[in-house]
Amino acid sequence: MTRDRQRKQSAPIKQVGIAEYAVVTDETVLSTSGVGSCLGIVLRDSFNDVSGLIHVMLPTAEESRDGNPAKFVDTGLPLLIEEMVEAGASKRRLEGWVVGGSEMLSFSSDGDSIGSRNIAAAKQAFQHYGIDVVGTDVGGSHGRSIRFDPADESVSIQTAEDNTTQTI
Amino acid sequence: MKVDIRELGQFNHLASEGAKQAAKSLSTLAGIEMDVDVTDVSLVTESVLAETFADRSFVGVELGLQGGLEGETVLALERERALVLQELLLDATDTDYSSKGSTLAKSSVTELGNIMIGGFIDGWANHLDTAINMTPPRYTEANGPRILPDQAIEAAKNHGVFLFESKLSGMDVDLDFSLYMLPEYRQFVQLLSGNDQGNQIPVNRLSTFEELAKEGAGNAAGQIGMMTGLDTNVDVSRLRFVPLSGVPKQVGNDQFVGVVFELTGLPSGYLVVLFDENSAITIANAMMPGDSTEDEIGSMTEGAIKELGNIMTSGFIDGWANVLQTSIEHSPPNFVHDMGESIMSPVVGKLGQQQDYAFVIDSTIEIDGNEGKCDIYALPNERELARALSALPAQD
Repeated sequence: MTRDRQRKQSAPIKQVGIAEYAVVTDETVLSTSGVGSCLGIVLRDSFNDVSGLIHVMLPTAEESRDGNPAKFVDTGLPLLIEEMVEAGASKRRLEGWVVGGSEMLSFSSDGDSIGSRNIAAAKQAFQHYGIDVVGTDVGGSHGRSIRFDPADESVSIQTAEDNTTQTI
Repeated sequence: MKVDIRELGQFNHLASEGAKQAAKSLSTLAGIEMDVDVTDVSLVTESVLAETFADRSFVGVELGLQGGLEGETVLALERERALVLQELLLDATDTDYSSKGSTLAKSSVTELGNIMIGGFIDGWANHLDTAINMTPPRYTEANGPRILPDQAIEAAKNHGVFLFESKLSGMDVDLDFSLYMLPEYRQFVQLLSGNDQGNQIPVNRLSTFEELAKEGAGNAAGQIGMMTGLDTNVDVSRLRFVPLSGVPKQVGNDQFVGVVFELTGLPSGYLVVLFDENSAITIANAMMPGDSTEDEIGSMTEGAIKELGNIMTSGFIDGWANVLQTSIEHSPPNFVHDMGESIMSPVVGKLGQQQDYAFVIDSTIEIDGNEGKCDIYALPNERELARALSALPAQD
């Protein structure tokens, strides 16, 4: 137990920004903050010990002029999968977590909010790639910070509403 | 002469990549892991330089650039941080600091600056497909904006100077510094000219940006004063050009209370007014009639912040409408009480459907001396802003 706690204290943390992703093959903790209407998507192949986290902003690349694939659910997820496979993951062993997609603002000019469209796009993408969903924490009207610890394969989520941390 | 927004984005990208290279050099040399926060570029005048660097004491390494890109680069850190860096460097090289004194410390910082700036500049030479020569590094110490080269301060007086800033912060150590790049104005404007197809802003209109920031923030601060009876002062007001994805990081992840508005008209966009929690309570209590007060963020504070936000926003966009001679309207307030980065997430998501970079007008208003603080972030649609600026009648 003591050893475990020591390891956790010293495990390096990799921060992932908006429209960025990271893939690790050790016990580096993956972390991202400022997940409002955006999504944090974690993928993990525990057999081959490969983990990835991407912080996407929008559902589909089609509706934007930007070329950065890590910004969108529909181009970001395949990109993350590809990078993880390159790092030794097996596509069919991948499982995932989806966090975010909240509706923090509502404007009269809106149709569906970005948050709910992001969630729908992630659902579709997970189905398309046949990835099992281990856990989700989506929707609501609050922001989230996410940490994925490969050592115990858990996603902890912090919100501004209370200082407690929820684990999925 | 016109400035192409895409070119400005391209140079911002280069500066950001360069800063990552510089961070890598530091990690290789001294084993210090640094994170590159955000890179922004703004056209600043002397007064903005004075505000930005005021009341701080710096240590820096300065290098001149010649050839394909002329100008100056400065690696600067606040004096206390410089001591941290010196110790880390001497530890890394196993040198006994006490016996060799500060000369060695200075030379190790200078050498580090030289290598980091070298990494920073490499990508620029590749992009411009030309050689960039660097003058020997110079160790400097100064208070306030004098940490920047004299030529840059002189240029800021005349026509403004482009200031690129990349912030690097230590992942495990309490160390942060900034890499500044101040290209020579005339040559850089040439480099930014792009082609006629692009989304362009006449270069002599860039100074209008500062006017936009000042007018808007000045009006908003005046409104706070009127509603609360508290003294207000616009502390810093600056227009930055940043990658959209870097905007939330600039706001930070502290808890904020505030309001978000959607703007319609020319330009459309978003306006975000944020108070830290204590400032929100102070402000709300000052606005409430009689003795009613709230110790936490409750419905009274929410109502007060919404009302104040509404009036501030009207003042802010009136300032813009005056400068741009257009009409702009705003939505009802969306109240937010959350982590700063999360609040900005839907805003950059919305703008991200049309653009990759954003002009962010970032103003800080001091309330009642140091008692309270309010940050205003205005994010106009960049194409519409360019259009509005281009449509202004010619100046002399």
